[in-house]
Amino acid sequence: MATAIKKKKSLVKNLVRFSVNGTAVELEIGTLPHQVETAHTLAHTLRETLGLVGTKVTCDNGACGSCTVLMDGKAVLSCMTLTVECQGRSITTIEGLADPETGRLDPLQQSFIDHTAFQCGFCTPGMIMSAKALLADNPSPTEADVKEALSGNFCRCISHYQVLRAVMATAQGGE
Amino acid sequence: MAEVYRFIGKPTRRKDAVEVVTGTTQYLDDIRFPDLLHGKVLRSPHPHAIIKKIDKSRAEQLPGVKAILTWQDVPDWKGGTPRVVRILDRKVRYVGDAVALVAATSAQIAKEALGLIDVEYELLPAVFDVEEVMKPGAPQLYDELPGNIVTPGTPAFGHSCLTEVVMGDVEQGFREAEVISEGTFGYENIPNPIPPEPPGAVAIWEEPNRVTLWVSNQASYLDKILLFHVFGKKVEVRTHGAACGGSFGTKLMSWQVQTYATLLSRATGRPVKIIFSKEEHIAAFVLRPGSRMQARVGMKKDGTVTAVSGTWLVDTGYYSATTQAQVAVGCGEIQLMTRCANWDLKTAIICTNRNASGSVRGFGGQELKCSFIPVLCLAMEKLDIDPVDFIKKNYVKPGDGYFWRDGLWYTYRGIDYSDAMDQGAMRFGWREKWQGWLKPSSVDGSKRRGVGVGVHGNADIGEDSSEAWVRLNPDGSALLYSCITEHGTGQRSNYVKMVAEVLQLPMERVTVTPADSLINPFEYGPFGSRGTYAIGSAAIAAAEDARRQLLELVAPRLDAKPEELETVDGVVFVRDSPERKIKWGAIGYDRTVMGYGRFDPDFTLANCMITFVEVEVDTETGKVDLLQVVNTTDVGQIIDPPGLEGQLNGCLGSSGIDSALFEETILDHSSGHILNANMIDYKWRTFSELPPIDNIVLETPVASHRFKAIGVGEVATSPGPMAVLMAVSNALGVWLHEYPVTPERVLKALGKLPAMTRTGGAQ
Amino acid sequence: MKPFIHINALTVAEAVAALAAYDGRARLNAGGTDLMGLLKDEFLPEYPQAVINIKNVAGLDYIREEQGMLQIGALTRLSDIASSPLLRERYGALAEAAQAVASPQIRNVATLAGNLCQDVRCCYYRYPRHIGGPISCARKGNGPCLAVKGDNRNHAILEGRKCFAVCPSDTAVALALFDGQLLVAGSAGERRIAVRDFYTPLGNQLGKDELVREIELPAITASTRQTFHKFTLRKPIDFAVVSVATLITVVDGVCSDARIALGAVAPGVVRAAAAEEFLRGRTIDPASAARAGELALAGARPLSKNAYKIEIAKTLLKRALLGHPPAKPSQGIVHDKCPHVKTK
Repeated sequence: MATAIKKKKSLVKNLVRFSVNGTAVELEIGTLPHQVETAHTLAHTLRETLGLVGTKVTCDNGACGSCTVLMDGKAVLSCMTLTVECQGRSITTIEGLADPETGRLDPLQQSFIDHTAFQCGFCTPGMIMSAKALLADNPSPTEADVKEALSGNFCRCISHYQVLRAVMATAQGGE
Repeated sequence: MAEVYRFIGKPTRRKDAVEVVTGTTQYLDDIRFPDLLHGKVLRSPHPHAIIKKIDKSRAEQLPGVKAILTWQDVPDWKGGTPRVVRILDRKVRYVGDAVALVAATSAQIAKEALGLIDVEYELLPAVFDVEEVMKPGAPQLYDELPGNIVTPGTPAFGHSCLTEVVMGDVEQGFREAEVISEGTFGYENIPNPIPPEPPGAVAIWEEPNRVTLWVSNQASYLDKILLFHVFGKKVEVRTHGAACGGSFGTKLMSWQVQTYATLLSRATGRPVKIIFSKEEHIAAFVLRPGSRMQARVGMKKDGTVTAVSGTWLVDTGYYSATTQAQVAVGCGEIQLMTRCANWDLKTAIICTNRNASGSVRGFGGQELKCSFIPVLCLAMEKLDIDPVDFIKKNYVKPGDGYFWRDGLWYTYRGIDYSDAMDQGAMRFGWREKWQGWLKPSSVDGSKRRGVGVGVHGNADIGEDSSEAWVRLNPDGSALLYSCITEHGTGQRSNYVKMVAEVLQLPMERVTVTPADSLINPFEYGPFGSRGTYAIGSAAIAAAEDARRQLLELVAPRLDAKPEELETVDGVVFVRDSPERKIKWGAIGYDRTVMGYGRFDPDFTLANCMITFVEVEVDTETGKVDLLQVVNTTDVGQIIDPPGLEGQLNGCLGSSGIDSALFEETILDHSSGHILNANMIDYKWRTFSELPPIDNIVLETPVASHRFKAIGVGEVATSPGPMAVLMAVSNALGVWLHEYPVTPERVLKALGKLPAMTRTGGAQ
Repeated sequence: MKPFIHINALTVAEAVAALAAYDGRARLNAGGTDLMGLLKDEFLPEYPQAVINIKNVAGLDYIREEQGMLQIGALTRLSDIASSPLLRERYGALAEAAQAVASPQIRNVATLAGNLCQDVRCCYYRYPRHIGGPISCARKGNGPCLAVKGDNRNHAILEGRKCFAVCPSDTAVALALFDGQLLVAGSAGERRIAVRDFYTPLGNQLGKDELVREIELPAITASTRQTFHKFTLRKPIDFAVVSVATLITVVDGVCSDARIALGAVAPGVVRAAAAEEFLRGRTIDPASAARAGELALAGARPLSKNAYKIEIAKTLLKRALLGHPPAKPSQGIVHDKCPHVKTK
């Protein structure tokens, strides 16, 4: 078996390239501390390798939505995504929403502030990313659309009601 | 009429709002430390066993492993109440109990090392039921706790800590009763509040005897004190409270993970971080206590309760830290909701071989009432008493008395909540929907609707002590020293708001110190609903003290007496001739003014929350849907409307209302495994299933502090579960007394389940 | 997660070769939403040596009609299946089943073949290593099925033998309804497996070197009425307690074809043959619908805690036949500013 493993290793690409918040990222694949291991999740890489700790990990098992990021515009769970499989992808995290030039918050972020759409705030980045994916796809969602888009996001404080208001207020034709 | 304030009562932006929405809030796991090691815990596969042998040699060989600690390597430090729980013990007492600790250069290496530790166990019989565990010959968890009965009372509440409710003459009371109801009911689904951020700690040990910890807790100063005692009073402890990603009371019980990090840092000389996985969080952290009550209630036709007797058994799992405190508070709370002269209610706390129960929002009272109210309901049904009338009649009124947690008698001097109850009932449409006991409010084919109501209140709003300083700076800003972590209630911002109101400074010019125990005065922490009154009082007093000193300092410069002065926006002026004014800077660039405030416990005020629910039961599938929730309360004065709304909406989360609907921790009663230690199988409320919630909040000024406000956040979860059971029973027309109301239980109650099953029987 | 060798397969042949080379010690990764849990919780006796990424295998992401057959590529994402106008119109039960899976984030990456091949959700089988696990059991080849004497609320009421874990796939239920076939590629070439035969008492029929390449469904006449009902304790995230898919063709008020598939009640998907047979040639009314439910569950032998699933299955089937909507539309919540403050 050992030879088989060795043989297979040659198939492994030793670099993975993708973009995070518009910035190209090139990471070596390997087992040294600065490298990305094959078993690293995108959540781990974002937080531990790239220092983007705005993406939160709650269940680390695909059930709660806290670690939601955008991959090519779609909401995905970064805890269930292998970094080595992100080759060529475009990732957006909570750190990528505010205007990089002016620092101006995304309207969705501003609306979350205006509606106090959080309590402990731990689930908030994931909520905002799920809502962001929805609004990019459907700028004028109904309340039912918002609930559906956020249905995979856990919040234990019950910020849901204020979040719904915040998202609806941001949506075109919202309040 | 509530007063109009500049900030109080108005929605203001949370001080941490931008950080929260940009992901820059620093929760524990977000703080970076140089040279950090990662800790992991090896956990027992057996519910009860002696460790015969541990061989860590293979694990020690793994590159990157820096320390492995077993029971043989750790000091004889103990926690729990009483102090019988070792950090690592020769004995394991539940599936998931700590067996060994590993520190390594990465979390993955630490985890791998766990698999290389060889442990030989001698298995012991295990026990999971509160009544089984008290029988003669039952397995004993601790030598120190014969019969597995935990020593009653907690030293924290003094030598006369409340452990029972005994007064009057119950025999006489039962003779006066027109109906006596009796039964044994439980709230034993041990639900878990599961805040999103898992428990954890980072420790940096400094020889010979100092440790600095970064903690995630709603009460980080208390960690310092708890750990000081766990560490045999020989270690100097400093805590930094990070932003807390939810606690709901549970993270008060972080002493174990904090101690693990401390010992690993001591062993390695490096900072050590331990963050529990979600599986550990659910299977090896804190559950609600299991509650089973055998009770007898005497009642008159007018709803007067003439006597209550019974025994409350509380299952605390493998150890108790706060359960005695929960029993004490629960015993107080049952009196708040049941005005009765004759009591004989005994309690016992029992250890079983499962993950520990402990501090959770609702703190004893929710558990007790979920078991007790069914007995009240039986009596009310016989007498045809509307439960809203009962609650109105029996909730504590000004001038009533009760024994509180310290065993002393207090006379209630708060408000009468009858108005709030009426307002809530009106909003809910109670009078229209209530058709009598065991009668649905409406029926549509197989769908039957029912209504229920629950009540909860707590005199903890003035519990424990708080201290604060307020420093006035010559630049016209103020700094509040208060050891408060933000755990979701918005209280850090609310104290800023109170200080800003006292000093008439824009909120932007008031800040609050980080929750560092080194720089801040004593703070018990925002537990229960004490934040608004207790902590608020200290902050207000500190601000008032600072203001007084400031005015005294500058009065000569304005040629006025201090009491003739006002200050607004960093300018002091003479009230009657505002043109005579001077900036705070007049005190000199080389001076600050420091005010001090303190709050001492006051158990004479109580809050109250009433929750109305309507459910729809599908009698063909057993599914129960929550259709509507109305919460009603009176807070004296709202401090922050959106923050309060969040707290009240929280009734659905953190094992509140939903602990009657679908939340439960599933324990295998033969093996001791928690079978749903993940966030798919542990159910939580989603965006797809949000019932309308109405929150009715009255503002009747309360004699608390200058803003006449009291806190209510904690209790939002508590009245709901019993209201759901009542509503489902009414919808079905038969009693359903088990939590949660699963389809299986509903169908069984309706007699729809066949008796034919295969062999075997789960508990 | 523990380390593993990571292989990027770019063709089906490469994936099959890698599977063959690892002889059962490699796992395919498509959407990853099931595999990651398996790797993280380490509940299996053996940890995979390699993970073969098949995300980038070209040409496996399609929904198309060929010669009257509907073909769906193995890597087609559930979100695409749920929103496909073609499927919505003609294979509505499949679109509904895909929409009923997990959460939006999961459906954005999870694939149809992955949904079919996911491992069971039994709480004993999946008990995580790091909190005192894993637990040995019949499915792992070591000991009895613990659910029989343990907590079996989610386990099989039909056809359970060695292992009582149920098939967790929602889409399998719909595919079995349509008599779907799996095109399976392996070292020895391709073969077809009917979805309804795919699941075995302890797993599925795939060999160590095989993977699902395509799912093929026979043509459907446009006039069928299809439903997919999934019973859960709460709406998203959950796996089915019971699911029922139906396909009914009614001609002149009489049922000419009835197909009924039951999910989460057995180790595989169950086609309720007796009920289907009973309905053919009859008018569907409350009495016949109820009778169909009785027939569909006639063989049920519940364990200690799961008899309730029989009632739910019967009810779901009856309601599906009678055309009840699966669940009431989500209600709007109060939108005004809370709390309602009443100042005295």
